[in-house]
Amino acid sequence: MSDSTHAAHTDGEHNPYVAHHFDNMGQQAGAAKLGMWLFLATELLMFSGLFLAYFICRMWYPDMVLGAHEYLSKTAGGINTCVLLFSSWTMAMAVRSAQVGKPGSKEDAAKIKKYLLLTLLCAGVFLVVKYFEYSAKFEHGMLPGKFYTAHLHGYEIEGLPHIFFGIYFIMTGLHGVHVLVGMGIMIWIYLRASRGEFSHQNYAGVENTGLYWHLVDLVWIFLFPLLYLVK
Amino acid sequence: MSEQPASYDLENPSEPNFYKAQKGLKSWLFTVDHKRLGVMYLASVILFFFVAGFLAIALRTELLTPAQDFVSASTYNQLFTLHGAIMTFLFIIPATPGALGNFLLPLMLGAKDVAFPRLNLLSFWIYSAAAVMLLCTLVLGGLDTGWTFYTPYSTSTGTAAGLAALGVFVAGFSSILTGLNFVVTVHRMRAPGQTWDRMPLFVWAIYATAVIQILATPVLAITVLLVFIERFLGIGIFDPAMGGDPVLFQHFFWFYSHPAVYIMILPGFGIISEILTVHSRKHVFGYKAIALSSVAIAIISFLVWGHHLFVSGQSELVGVIFSFLTFAVAVPTAIKVFSWVATLYGGSIVYNTPMWYGLMFLWTFTIGGVTGLYLSTISVDVHLHDTYFVVAHFHYVMMGGLVIAFIGGVFHWWPKITGRFYHEASGKLGALLVFIGFNVTFGTQFFLGHQGMPRRYFAYLPEYTTMHQISTVGSYILASGLLIAGFSLAMAFRKSAPKAGSNPWGAVSLEWKTSSPPIEHNFHDTPHVTGSPYDFPEIDKSGRTH
Amino acid sequence: MSAQAYLKGKEIENPVEVHHHVAPVSLYVIILMALFGLTGLTYAVSFANLGPLSLPVAMAVAALKASLVVAFFMHLKDDDRYNLFVFLGTLIFIGIFFGFTLFDMQARDALNDEQRTFVRAEDERNAGNSPAVGISNDPARLAAWEAKHGSHDEGAEGEHAEGAEGEHAEGDKAEGEH
Ligand code: HEM
Ligand SMILES: [Cu+2]
Repeated sequence: MSDSTHAAHTDGEHNPYVAHHFDNMGQQAGAAKLGMWLFLATELLMFSGLFLAYFICRMWYPDMVLGAHEYLSKTAGGINTCVLLFSSWTMAMAVRSAQVGKPGSKEDAAKIKKYLLLTLLCAGVFLVVKYFEYSAKFEHGMLPGKFYTAHLHGYEIEGLPHIFFGIYFIMTGLHGVHVLVGMGIMIWIYLRASRGEFSHQNYAGVENTGLYWHLVDLVWIFLFPLLYLVK
Repeated sequence: MSEQPASYDLENPSEPNFYKAQKGLKSWLFTVDHKRLGVMYLASVILFFFVAGFLAIALRTELLTPAQDFVSASTYNQLFTLHGAIMTFLFIIPATPGALGNFLLPLMLGAKDVAFPRLNLLSFWIYSAAAVMLLCTLVLGGLDTGWTFYTPYSTSTGTAAGLAALGVFVAGFSSILTGLNFVVTVHRMRAPGQTWDRMPLFVWAIYATAVIQILATPVLAITVLLVFIERFLGIGIFDPAMGGDPVLFQHFFWFYSHPAVYIMILPGFGIISEILTVHSRKHVFGYKAIALSSVAIAIISFLVWGHHLFVSGQSELVGVIFSFLTFAVAVPTAIKVFSWVATLYGGSIVYNTPMWYGLMFLWTFTIGGVTGLYLSTISVDVHLHDTYFVVAHFHYVMMGGLVIAFIGGVFHWWPKITGRFYHEASGKLGALLVFIGFNVTFGTQFFLGHQGMPRRYFAYLPEYTTMHQISTVGSYILASGLLIAGFSLAMAFRKSAPKAGSNPWGAVSLEWKTSSPPIEHNFHDTPHVTGSPYDFPEIDKSGRTH
Repeated sequence: MSAQAYLKGKEIENPVEVHHHVAPVSLYVIILMALFGLTGLTYAVSFANLGPLSLPVAMAVAALKASLVVAFFMHLKDDDRYNLFVFLGTLIFIGIFFGFTLFDMQARDALNDEQRTFVRAEDERNAGNSPAVGISNDPARLAAWEAKHGSHDEGAEGEHAEGAEGEHAEGDKAEGEH
């Protein structure tokens, strides 16, 4: 691992990407990153409410949760986990490519774009798998709350499974919305990369997108065992 | 203390001030200048304060007699709900950070702007959207859940609780973005020499507030989102009929809302620290204690939310723990009050309007805080919960604390914001009427609550008539005081109002080291800070231990 | 202004305050492999019958995976320490939220068993009423559903559901309104 300080970096005045109210790129990038981490903190806290609801539901109705979770597809969940983990890697590689990229270099920009595209692709695969999972649940009436009809379709799950499926849909749904938003951001960053904006002089945009995307991955790392696997 | 190159004439700046730097409606709606955003927040929060205040007067008028006279029971419910919701989510929470914080924070730090100016603009737009949503509930069925949205009523009522929940959800994002922006600004944007122990106490307070905004508001967001979903899908987390538990909702809600009361009051503490020192010409007593107690309050405020659930069916053990921790909040709060009083001691106090509000705050806030201790004693709260005692308590802290500090702050910084002086005599008259009116209105409510008058009722037993009538008359005095205060401020817009100059109070912190109103980029030359913001020139340095 | 730079109120010699660490590609690949390996592990473990241990084990593995992502992919290991502070601080506050709420919910259940202070759907079932599941809580929607799909031969359950609804007449009435 190397600590690198590029010469071009040291002169804030010559870096065209520094906004007027900052003194230099170090200050600007540091601010952007701290801002992103604070935003991630709020995301974690927001999801924590749903995780807490899950744990409490589990505490109230342990047998129901065990019965209901059997109906989720471990395979689909597992595939999606691997897809997301891989996308986290491609994202980390995109950030790295920006960190070592030379300003104005076409090849370096192409590298960033390649990894971003791969990440986007993974996000797409994730959503497609999710779509098939959701439609299976819809078909069997395993829906949240008052829309739950699986018992009329002949699925006997003891207790109040509409709570479990409610929590399942809210958690994965909110997570899915984050995936969608992430895709939107990546497209935007991709366009900026095409314009050759990113290099070691200026990579905070790619880095922050990366941080966001890893958070989406983090949430799923916990969702997967809790919803799909745990007995 | 700070040094400025002497060459630049602050009284006759060569650059136009930020109002004149750009023209047209668009230059306001799409501005990224923190000062313009501050002014727009100020206008909005004052507007909502008057809207919600008007509703309050309607409520008090209904309570003139024991019977139901002007409004029906359900209208009364909608009135107090909207009053509470607007006051909390559209006035108090955004008021000080959004208006004064935006305007002053970068100036006090010596920065050109906040760290993320565009995010700042977005935050204002989101706030406006939330305001529209909350006001739309008025025409789309009203809202009668109380500002607390307790389930299962909020998940089953036929009124527009869903839209209101979404409005609060949206308002939360505005608050989060403001907080995030301020934390980064304080960490990254300080001028040369502006170290942590040289920051004005207002900045410390806003910083602590911002930390709470970031940590607590996301939980509010998910809570109201769950209420919304529970309402339309009935998933059964909060609704007992579907297998949920309303007490769980209360945990979720108060995990945010208790820290939120400190989002409301902490910036007020910051304002008071500035007013009391500047107008008593004395170095603040216990700078470190005041600064760090803000942070301590921010942290402890997350450990006490259960005091709102003492009689909700929370387990006794948890209740006792929460009761004990609630007492702990009083310690850093008291440290502040003692430090303020010690700051005044021996100072050369100038009795002008901001100072009047500052002194008023010490009185009203202390009463509010001390009655909080009564309420945190479980055995007492069993009797006082959901009575007018609680109403009086939180009005003493929210109105008597934050609102009074906020008005004082607006008077204090008015010369900076407008470049001209308010009208002193009417300012003082307004302050006097606010003080009398406030104590008459809410002081009586302690007695009402103690005698057993429950809150949120449109009618009452005849025994309570006298007290209620005194309280209503008090509210009229209070309202007239507020109108006169507004008049005094408006007098600064006259052409003939006296010009304030860059530093009318002889203060030392950086916001006074630029012209009034400030130029677009705040400072002509980046200021260099060399000392404490409370080293007033006339203080004999040899006699002071720092 | 000269090329002099300031950060956090202090003059700094080198304006690049954020040193960026460029990790070698091989490290990223190793981390990815470790993540895949751990995913396989949880997957495999979920088929073993660990009983009450299964939740802690699954959570421990997930926490390990999360720390890898945070430390390496998100660079927290070498980043400005304040960012790490923000992250860990957040976890502490989540801990407070979880701690008190779970503790009370559990204690509240115990209280309930002792004093029967509140009733939950679970208790209904203990009393012999099968709880109203999902759509059965909403008579209007249930009727619509049955009109569309034809009634199912689950009469017994339906009757019980009706019994449970009786107890919650108030809630149901209000819900039926919108
Ligand atoms: C020394 C500090 C404080 C203590 C010990 C304290 C204690 C309490 C307690 C125990 C209650 C619950 C009463 C009940 O519902 O039975 C309460 C209610 C309340 N407090 Fe405080 N408090 C303090 C400061 C504040 C501050 C600074 C604010 C706001 C700026 C505030 C705003 C409120 C509000 C709004 C309620 C009522 C909530 C509702 O039910 O609508 N408190 N306080
Ligand atoms: Cu509280």
